[in-house]
Amino acid sequence: MSDTKSISLKSILARHEVVLLLVIAVEIVLFSTLGRRFLDSTNVSNIFRHSVEIGLLALAMTPVILTGGIDLSVGSMMGLCAVSFGMLVNEAGLSPMVAGLIAIAIGIAGGGLNALLIARMKLPPLIVTLGTFSLFRGLAEALTRGSKSYSGFSKSFLELGNGEVAGVPTQVWIFLVVAAGVYLLVHHTTFGRSFRAIGYSPEGSRYAGIPVPRNISLTYILAGAISGLAAVILVARLGEARANAGIGYELLAITAVVLGGTSIFGGSGTVCGTLLGYIAVAILGNGLSRITAYQLFDQPIASIARELSGMLTGLLLIVALAVTPLARILATRRSRRQH
Amino acid sequence: MRALKGVSFELMPGEVHALLGENGAGKSTLIKVITGAHAPDEGVLTIGEEQLRSLTPAHARALGIACIYQQPALFPDLTVAENIGLRLKKPAPFSVVKRAAQREKAIELLKRVGAEISPDAEVHELSMPEQQLVEIACALGSGARIVIMDEPTASLTQKEQHLLFGVVRDLRANGVGVVYISHRLEEIFALADRVTVLRDGESVGTHAVKDLTESAMIKLMVGREVATLYPPAESEPGEVVLSLRGITCAEGGVHGVDLEVRAGEILGMAGLVGAGRTELARVLFGITPADSGEIHLKGEKVSIATPRDAISQGIAYVPEDRRRHGVILEMPIAHNITMAVHPVLFPGTWLRKKRESEMAKDFIRDLGIKAYGPEAPGGNLSGGNQQKVSVSRWLATKPKLLILDEPTQGVDVGAKSEIHRIIRELAKEGLAVLMISSDLPEVLGMSDRIAVMRGGTVTAVLPGGADAHDVMSAALGQNGKEVA
Amino acid sequence: MMRKYSREFTVAGALALLFISLGIFAPNFYEAQPLLSRFTSQMPALVAAIGITLVIITRQIDISIGAQFSMCAVVAGIVAAAGMPLGVAVLAAIGTGIVMGAFNGLLVAWLGLPSIVVTLATMVTWNEALRLWQQGRLMPLPDGIQWFGISQAAGQGIVIGASVTLLLAFAWAMKNLATGRYVYATGTDAEAARLAGINPKLTTFGVFVLMGALAGIAAVLNMVQSPQVQPNAGDGLELKVIAAAVVGGVAITGGRGNLWGVLLGLLLLANVNPALTHFHQPPYWERAIQGLVILLAVVADGLRRGKK
Repeated sequence: MSDTKSISLKSILARHEVVLLLVIAVEIVLFSTLGRRFLDSTNVSNIFRHSVEIGLLALAMTPVILTGGIDLSVGSMMGLCAVSFGMLVNEAGLSPMVAGLIAIAIGIAGGGLNALLIARMKLPPLIVTLGTFSLFRGLAEALTRGSKSYSGFSKSFLELGNGEVAGVPTQVWIFLVVAAGVYLLVHHTTFGRSFRAIGYSPEGSRYAGIPVPRNISLTYILAGAISGLAAVILVARLGEARANAGIGYELLAITAVVLGGTSIFGGSGTVCGTLLGYIAVAILGNGLSRITAYQLFDQPIASIARELSGMLTGLLLIVALAVTPLARILATRRSRRQH
Repeated sequence: MRALKGVSFELMPGEVHALLGENGAGKSTLIKVITGAHAPDEGVLTIGEEQLRSLTPAHARALGIACIYQQPALFPDLTVAENIGLRLKKPAPFSVVKRAAQREKAIELLKRVGAEISPDAEVHELSMPEQQLVEIACALGSGARIVIMDEPTASLTQKEQHLLFGVVRDLRANGVGVVYISHRLEEIFALADRVTVLRDGESVGTHAVKDLTESAMIKLMVGREVATLYPPAESEPGEVVLSLRGITCAEGGVHGVDLEVRAGEILGMAGLVGAGRTELARVLFGITPADSGEIHLKGEKVSIATPRDAISQGIAYVPEDRRRHGVILEMPIAHNITMAVHPVLFPGTWLRKKRESEMAKDFIRDLGIKAYGPEAPGGNLSGGNQQKVSVSRWLATKPKLLILDEPTQGVDVGAKSEIHRIIRELAKEGLAVLMISSDLPEVLGMSDRIAVMRGGTVTAVLPGGADAHDVMSAALGQNGKEVA
Repeated sequence: MMRKYSREFTVAGALALLFISLGIFAPNFYEAQPLLSRFTSQMPALVAAIGITLVIITRQIDISIGAQFSMCAVVAGIVAAAGMPLGVAVLAAIGTGIVMGAFNGLLVAWLGLPSIVVTLATMVTWNEALRLWQQGRLMPLPDGIQWFGISQAAGQGIVIGASVTLLLAFAWAMKNLATGRYVYATGTDAEAARLAGINPKLTTFGVFVLMGALAGIAAVLNMVQSPQVQPNAGDGLELKVIAAAVVGGVAITGGRGNLWGVLLGLLLLANVNPALTHFHQPPYWERAIQGLVILLAVVADGLRRGKK
């Protein structure tokens, strides 16, 4: 039993990233043939420019889920940080740089709250982050009195969200830096190693001398910080800071992470997988919106791109999850019949 | 059956038949066969008129076999009455539970058992002994003909024990056959009609209790040829490495422990399950820190509040529960081995995979770990090899004191002797070794001195030449040795 | 009794405090007509909360109920708009809910997939499918649907009556039917339940199906309260009812909780907004306050567990 376990585990891991690459390849082929100007450099730029925030949240979510936890509050955190940023620039007259750093600090504080409740008080992450999901969004709404939005930011700040450096959108560079950072953290530091250990066995990790509460706290604080960064980038892109920034993003982030092969129970998963999952989802949304020549449900696909990509993403998620257990069930049935 | 060899056991109606034997003698395995949790490789089970090759748990229940374990299998958030109701007979899905009748039945059964428990209390509010009484009530209620009790008095007060004895006698008077497992010889003398002693998976004899003395019982339990050769001590022990004075930890059930372990010596820790040995180890390792008392390492007083503290002070603990605490099964051997030395091996938190792989390969070679490579997941290995990985992890911390908790439990014979050799080597190199073991021959063969624990404290420290009888007596609290 | 129901008493106490303060400082909260309307509008959430309570007790979660609700509402609306009698629309809604619930249940109970991710996937899929189908259109309902075709007061009475009846029925069933026991047992320890002869997979599947059916009923109870069907009527429902359950003492780890606590939790959270309005406080504090209440409830749970 043990030998087959190791072989299948390894092959599944390998399979997941390979399958995702295949999916991405299929998407690229499909959309470039069926769609208009899919492979255009502007379009490719846009794919990533418009989805960087989700990619960042997916990166932020990966260490959290690796430890066996979850953070539903990252989207709401974005709202709070966005609004705070807006206030600091517009009303307190701070420079976008300083305001941005403070916004990230607010994200860290929010992550700290999650960390306190989850890692120190050992409360269930799902419900704690459900509470902070409401609290952070609520604070954002309260700060803006439910309706106010901030705009009129300096041109140079807006470049962050709308400009490019060396042909690549500015925020994508930032994203790449964060991706590299998270990758190194998860795969090349003792912290990352401990995240996995904690995800597989919190008790076992404790007995090995790993400071479990401290390391779990780190994941939530990092998630908060990255949410703050994503908020600033979003504001720069839209030119507007509103309380509803980031609504629904946490779910997209979780989708990307799980699609990428990370187990929601913790322990196994890779940053590469998350990135591939994110790319697969980002391409899907954009690609469908470029198909004008074909119709589905009596409408050009491009006009129902958002809905279609949403549905396909949901289905893709289910298929991705169901493959392993289904295979196992079929295998047991087969072996049982042989006896 | 690997754990049992040709055991014959007989239970008459209206008899209390005690089952005696040290840890690992085969008692639990025999019970599992009777309750249908395990199917025997050979042999026949005769229950009443029926002869069977094997049982399923459902069939056993239907035949009137009930077992009361130390860990009650009740649903904590349901009330006592609801639990009893669920256990007596599985109600059909959409049937309306007759709450009043259920409550009545619960009250009746609780009274028979002498338990002063409200039927409306939620089980999680009850103490462990109270939960046990509920279990017994369930057994009574389901009309069991054969009731097995596994160490039922382990956590009962005197008063509760008396109640329990009453229940047992009540069962006997009603023609129920009771299999009574206990280490407390006085109970066996008080309650049992016959006793069967198991040793190393074999039955050493069945006798009427009145025909035996205490001493005779102990002799049956331990008397054997020490067939295995243990590597002998080759050097004199050195300075005192660990000194404990008055160590008490309420949460761990440990109190007033005084102990000394010297460099180069193997101090065996004997005692029955629940005597407090693992709990003491957990205190030393910072899992459940001490409330009071002093720990001195190489003469310096130290305070240990977390495992990290313990490790940095030079204490290493190879845990008893290998699969849950010793090795993370899903992770590769190399990762397991380096898990406790991150600050040292990977300064600045940067993983150095080459260094890690080298270290792992060294340990694989030195300890003879059989795996296809350092990247093999821990779960792939046999029990013995997993234990070697666990030991490697702690050797990597270069400890001053190594605590081993049941180092060869569930390990095959070959790996067992390898591990013994390794332990003796380590002692020779100057390590102070504290070896907790329930394997009497191992304790006798490996230890330079033997500390015996009972009831949460150290009750005796015996010299290396002590014999099994002395150790077992001290563990059982017989022969005038002080009991806490 | 106080100790056992301490959570429920605390929430009841908070609720009483709120209602009394309203009585003193903002007595127009108790103006009959708006009060009745507000209460009636909270009933669909109550019905959905019954379902989610069962799901959480079996140690699962369902975040797709908002999507289920919306889908059932649209299906019912279409059936009603096609001129069918209300009864058929009700059956259609319940049927739709059952199908969606069964889908979730299949994946969670038999394939053993984690419910958080499964229901995340189904939520997104159903929501987007709905958006595709209805494109945000409001669907006007024929006369005779709103308020069951009778007067508003009578219609409100029926909605409240039906919801309360369901609440009472399920509360009774959870305590008195053997199946209720199975649900608690499965949530506490599925393996022990299996050894006791219960089928945890079937229980879990059944609970998801029930959730779907209740979402359908809730959708209908909501539909009759306005002249048209909104295709996103269920937005935010999952948060509302999960929060109500948690505040009401249902443990997210499964195995404990009862519907009375959930009712109290729902009333408390749902009345934050009206209370703010009547205290002349700005309404945008609602979400923050709700978040705080949820966190307080979780912390209280944690402290209680620690004491044991």
